[in-house]
This record gives sequence, structure tokens and C-alpha cells, in this order.
Amino acid sequence: MKDTLKQTKPLQINPIKLSQPMGALLCFLGIKNCMPLMHGAQGCASFSKVFFTRHFSDPIAVQTTAVNDITAVIDGGDYSISEAIKNITKKVKPDIVGLFTTGMTETKGDDIKGATFLLKDTQKMAYVHTPDFEGGLESGFAKSIEAIIEQIVEEKDEVDNNKALLIPNVNLTPMEVEKIKEQISLFGFETYSLPDLSDSLDGHLGLKQGALTSGGISVDEIKELANCAVVITVGNSVEKSGEILKQKNQKITHFHFDTLGGLEKSDAFYKALMEFKKLDKPHKSIIRWRKRLQDALLDTHFALGGTNAIIATEPDQILSIASTINEAGANIQTIVTPNNSISLETIDCKNIIFGDFENVEENLEKADILISNFHGERLTNKYKKALMLRGYPNYEAVGNQLKNDVLYEGSTYMLFELANIINHYKYGEH
Amino acid sequence: MMVNKKQIKELLNESACSQNKDKKSGCDKPKPGATSGGCAFEGAQIALFPYADAVHLVHAPATCQGASWETRATPTSWEGENNVLLGYCTDVTTNDIIFGGHEKLEKSIEYIVEHKNPKAIFIYETCVTAMIGDDIDNIASRMEDKHNIPMVVVHSPGFVGSKNLGSRLGGEAVLNQLIGTREPKEVHPFGINLIGEYNVTGDMWQYTPILEKIGIKVVSTLAGDGRIENIQMAHRAKLNVIVCAKSLITLVRKMEEQYSIPHVSVSFYGKRDTSNAIRSIVNAFGDTELSKKAEEVIKAEEEKLEKRLIPYRKILAGKKAILNTGGNKSWSIASALQDIGIEVVATSIRKATLEDIEIAKQYVPILMKVPANEQAGLIDKYGVDILLAGGRSLYTAIKKKVAFVDVNQEKKVSYGAYGGLENLAIDVCAAVNNKVFKVVGNEAPWGDDK
Repeated sequence: MKDTLKQTKPLQINPIKLSQPMGALLCFLGIKNCMPLMHGAQGCASFSKVFFTRHFSDPIAVQTTAVNDITAVIDGGDYSISEAIKNITKKVKPDIVGLFTTGMTETKGDDIKGATFLLKDTQKMAYVHTPDFEGGLESGFAKSIEAIIEQIVEEKDEVDNNKALLIPNVNLTPMEVEKIKEQISLFGFETYSLPDLSDSLDGHLGLKQGALTSGGISVDEIKELANCAVVITVGNSVEKSGEILKQKNQKITHFHFDTLGGLEKSDAFYKALMEFKKLDKPHKSIIRWRKRLQDALLDTHFALGGTNAIIATEPDQILSIASTINEAGANIQTIVTPNNSISLETIDCKNIIFGDFENVEENLEKADILISNFHGERLTNKYKKALMLRGYPNYEAVGNQLKNDVLYEGSTYMLFELANIINHYKYGEH
Repeated sequence: MMVNKKQIKELLNESACSQNKDKKSGCDKPKPGATSGGCAFEGAQIALFPYADAVHLVHAPATCQGASWETRATPTSWEGENNVLLGYCTDVTTNDIIFGGHEKLEKSIEYIVEHKNPKAIFIYETCVTAMIGDDIDNIASRMEDKHNIPMVVVHSPGFVGSKNLGSRLGGEAVLNQLIGTREPKEVHPFGINLIGEYNVTGDMWQYTPILEKIGIKVVSTLAGDGRIENIQMAHRAKLNVIVCAKSLITLVRKMEEQYSIPHVSVSFYGKRDTSNAIRSIVNAFGDTELSKKAEEVIKAEEEKLEKRLIPYRKILAGKKAILNTGGNKSWSIASALQDIGIEVVATSIRKATLEDIEIAKQYVPILMKVPANEQAGLIDKYGVDILLAGGRSLYTAIKKKVAFVDVNQEKKVSYGAYGGLENLAIDVCAAVNNKVFKVVGNEAPWGDDK
């Protein structure tokens, strides 16, 4: 249905869109002791590294195969990849190298599967095709998860009833991943996340800032994931990853949630876990947080009711924010998405645009608040509109990795934050 | 005017670059798996994006521009729409890879001309569009004839090399396609071009009013607060001033050959270097009146600055620092630190050119080749108070409980010229007085978890 979304012009002016290889990089950053290796010219890795360093205010591990004008033409990929592995392993000993392509090496048509096979005795690797002329941040992240499952996870025929796996979409912050894991654990599970950014990009002071990822799910843990009793996927972009894991063991139960934003979506999440564990009631902190969210919805509905919002982030995050704020009466006046996605089909919004910040600007006059990344700030200043910063990149704010918008607790905090911004905008001096 | 091997080789083997005397090539090919730093496209972007009155259209898929627009703090006084802050991208997709991206590029240019009315359009060729063979030069020349504004093609696919090479390619595009295409109404006797000054955080504005006070006219810039019309007339300037940048040395050499414009190379960091920079510029003109005026202005500015620095000098007197950064910053910041009363014990030369090392020797007694291994020991040995370095050294500072200044972080205020030196003093004093570097490294109540 939403396939019919068409761009309004031949080019992008102030893109919201982020690329597939950048999504792949984020995925591999959630694997412990990993070296993400971007197969392309050195700039692809450099731009992405600077981008995420500024967003997270933390060092980002990544290397590049540094394809040059000669290898771009005559090499099928294996030379620059094997050279890169040789040079990386001279300095560090990664448990895994996450190899992913860019538009340039896909235009060449490099055989990364073959290159990985040739190096199998030298370095453990996972490979994934992520050209930046297709898809976007969400698909790059999701494809990498799929590749890791297909290439690393071992098949099983039994499940451990107390073991669960979370597969987050790319928009979930390190803190959100940690919170969802904790909530799943409250049902008696030992919970893993693939990838696990809550252990690597959560902004902790490490002993030394090494060249490899400082935390995340380990390769040994990934190998053993097929005996999880439950896999929980959050976000449309990663639903397929859950199905692929199931192919490693049909006894796995797959719960999929398009989002965990707001009361109704959170209810569905806890209901599923209670049913699976045959419980009448969840942990008492969950009950308490649900009551707080109920109260927050009522406390904030004065501010949010009838407020016209524009949301411009990645599709899975658009759905999550829209679900939450719509429950308190906000009107989703316009959505500007960088990519088509089924996430957008269920949202009650009459004006969904496949576009960029120029499209945001065209619709800003009629709106009260813009919910988008750092690039939105210039526009809201210009048009004197309210702004809630969400999504990648958020260069100017610190603490991005600790934002939590999901489940009862996170939804509560986000609603209050938004209501305060709107009240300040409506009644404050500006 | 496609980019070709001969041109790249020529740019890499620049005869005017001292780095090329001892090595086969000053700019080696990047090593797979052991490379940091940006590509040629980024270099071109850095060199040319500060032209705010031109649209910068990147003919590429999502990464090149999606990850990089609105990231550089290069302010402009241009009153029209500030294109430095905008990201234009053709967003090449699978369809374009198969059928060619030329149609999309042409439509994009038409859209920009119709809606934005820029003074020029820079079109950047990137890896993918170079590989699929879009004939960008042809499209640009047709569009230029049709719309009668310059369409400058920058052949900067990332795979041709490093950021430095990209800046050179950007300079080539400007030299071949813009410089000399417009004549000024009158020629100023003391007209200069500022080359390699990007006006990051407004650095340039710290000293251009001073130059004007002396009687020097900035004809054009590449590209800080730059204007297309001005750079078109750059060939009528009397002197090229290279500011802290080696990447555009080829451009000034060629301008010397084509237009007989001599050049001087200067740095505007710190009091002494700023004064020396001004002297280098006026000396090049050999005009007694101008030199006299310059000395008067320098004296007045230095006195004004010294008065403003008094409160900070009190805090910084006797403080010792180690500097761990790259390129010309290894000496230019050292010089600025000395100007505010700090003793610079050591500086890193790990990422400095041969020329930078020679200059650094004149400022700092200890040159660190492997700062990661050396700086901790030097902090102990000399009782160092301040470490100025990149984020990776933060833990060393915390372990040693010394103040830390991240010199590689995107800075928000200018450290340039006389006015900027006060900003540097403010920032260093803030770090010295900040308790955080002593508190954050305290042992946990349960001991250190290893």
C-alpha cells in the first residue's frame, strides 16, 4: 500500500536518510571484541565513524578496506579484504570481524562470501551485503543481524525454557535495550540481546579505549542462541530476523512487536510474556509503572491533546513515537520518512511523505512541534516551533544513549518530556 | 576534464611540498585495515563547501552526504540562503546504477536552478558515480550554457585517495573552472587571496578586520566566508596567503606560474605567529608606509591582548603542558599556549609532516614519536598539569589526575589570532580549575574492577 509513496523531487535536499552500511556498523558495534570492517573507500568508514562518535560521545571501532583507484578496478575484493585482515590482526585480536559492503564495492560486484571463505582459517568473520544505493539505516542493521544468525548461530533441537533473546531495531537506544532486557528478565529469563548496544555504547568509562568494541554480546553467546525458548523482535525492520533464528530451531517461540511505545503496545508485550510463563500477574514494579503511565497519559493529555506534530525519523521510530503520543491525544499531522516501510501503514496520519527536511519545512508552518534529529533544530528556530530531539544524529545533545521511550516506564518519561516542551513553547517566552 | 592518473600523480608529487623531498610520494596510498581519516570527497567538501552562495550537489548514494551535511562550523556573512548548512544529494539508487545517473543529475540541477537561484553549482563526483561512468562534465557544460551560471565539476571519488588529495582536487576545479573568469572594476595594490582558510568557528574574522585596518584588501578566499564572484577574480590579487594548510600548495604554485602571483605561508594561532603572519604579508608587498602602519596596528593589538590576558596569566603562570595532536597543530597550538604563559614540555610529531617537525623543534624541547607510550611517563617526570590531546588520551589524564583539554573535538569558539588566544586561555583555565579530572578517577568503594 505504502509502496505508492513517491518522492516529490529528483534529489534530496537535507536528507533524513541514512545509509545501509551505517546500520551495519551499528549492529557490529553491539558484538563484543569485534572489528567492524567497512568494504569501500576510506571515506565511508571515516564519515560513519565521525557521525556516531559525535552522536554517542564515545570512541567508535571501525576499519576500512580502503579500496583505491587501482583495487577499485582490478580487484574482486579479496585482495583489499585479506590485506585489511592482515593489517588489523597485526595490532589487535578480534573475536570476529564484521565485514559489510558499500555502494562502491557492490557496484564492482565483489565476492565477499568467497573472500570470507578464503580467510576462514585466519580470522572468524561475518559478512553482509549493504550497498548504500538500497534500503537505509534500518535495513542495514537488520540485514547484519540476519547474516550473523545465518553464519554464526549453531542449530539446536532443544530449548532452555529460561533463556530469551531480544532483537532490537536500530532505533532503540542502548538504555532502551537494557530496559527491555531487564523487563524480560523479570519473567525469570536469562536475557540476551543481538546485537547488544547496552553493553558497548551505553557511555561507560572504560579502562582503555581500545581499537575493538568494548562490550556487547560475545561470539560464544551468539553461537548458542538457538536454544532460547523465546525470541522477541521489536520493530518491523527486524521481524524477519526472528523467523531466521527459528529456522535454527523450530521449538523457539517468536514474539514480534512493531513497537513497545505507549500503553497498548506495552500491554501486548507483557501479556505475551505472562501467557508464555503462565503467570496471572507480573512483577510488582511492572504493575506500578503501568499505573504511573496511566497517570502520565492523563497528566499530559491537556498539553498533547490537539497538538499537531511532525515526525521525521526512521520508520520504526516514527511508529513508536506516534503510538505513544497519539494515546494522549496528539495529532500526527505529518510524517516524513526516509524510506518506505510497513511500519507506517497502521499510523493514523493523512500526510505521509517520502522525503527530506525540505518536506519537513514545507509542513512546519501548520504544526506545533517537530520530533526529529539534530538537523531539525535550524528549522524550528527559524519558524519558532517546538522541537523534541529524537533519532540519529543528535550531535549537540549529550546523553543520547540513555534516552528511554519504551514500555510503561519509558513512555511515561517521554510523555512528560514532550508535554513540558509543548507547554514551554505555548506559554513560555520565545 | 576527467580526473586521471597523470593529474593525481602530479598532485601527489607536488614539487613545492617539502614532504616530497625524502619520500617517493608525500601522500601514500591508504593501507587496508590500518587507515583513519577521510577520503578525497571529504577533502573537496572541506575545501569548497564554505562557499555559501553556491549549491553543493553531491552525486552519490546515501552515505557520502547523508552522514556529513551540517557538520562543519564554517560561518558566513552571506545574506542569502546559507548553503553551507544544506545537504544536496542525488541519492543514487539501484535503478540509477543500472540505467545511469545522468538523468537524475540533470533533473536535480534543473530543480536547484529553478528553486534556489544559486551563484554557482558545484557538482561532486563520488565513487559510485565515477564507476557507473556518468558523463558529469557533459551535463555540467550543457547546463552551464543553458542557465548561464558556473557549473563546477569536482572529480573527487573517495577511492582516488585521502582527504588531503581531495582538497587539492577541489583547488584544481576552482583554478580551472572559476579563477580568471571575471575581471574586477579596479585592482587593489595590496589585494590578497586567503587560501586554505575555511573560517572554522569564525577564525578568519579574528584577523581580517586587522588586515583591513592596515590597508590590505582580501580579494577572495578559498573558501572561508567565500563568494563565487570574488574567487573568479582571484587572478587579480597581488599575493596568495596560504593559511595553515599544505594541501593547496599546488594551487598557489600554479597561480604563480599562470598569473605571477607570489605566495606566503602563515599561521594565525597565538600572538607571536599572528604578528609574524601580518609581517610576512606586508613584507611581501615591500611598501614602507604599509609596513609602518602594520607595526603600529600590531603594537596596539598586542597591548590590547596583553591587558585582557592578565587574569588568565595569573592562573596559568608556571603551568606545564603536553600537547598530543597532529599536523601543524603540533606547533601552532604549542606556540599559542606559550603565548598565554604555559610551558609546553612536549609535543607529538606522530602525525606531523617533515616541515611541521622542523618548525615544532623551534618551539618545543621534547618531540614525542609514540605519544601513547611516552606521555604518561613525561607527565610524572616533569610534573605536568595539563594534557591537551584527542579523546583517546582522556584515560591517561584521569589516571594521572591532570587537567585535560580535547584539542581534536569540534570546537565551538575560535582560537584564531589575537582575539582567539583569549578564548584558548579561557578554555585552558576552565580545564585547570575543573575538579572533574580529579574526582572522576577516584577509586570505587569496592575497589577498582579490573
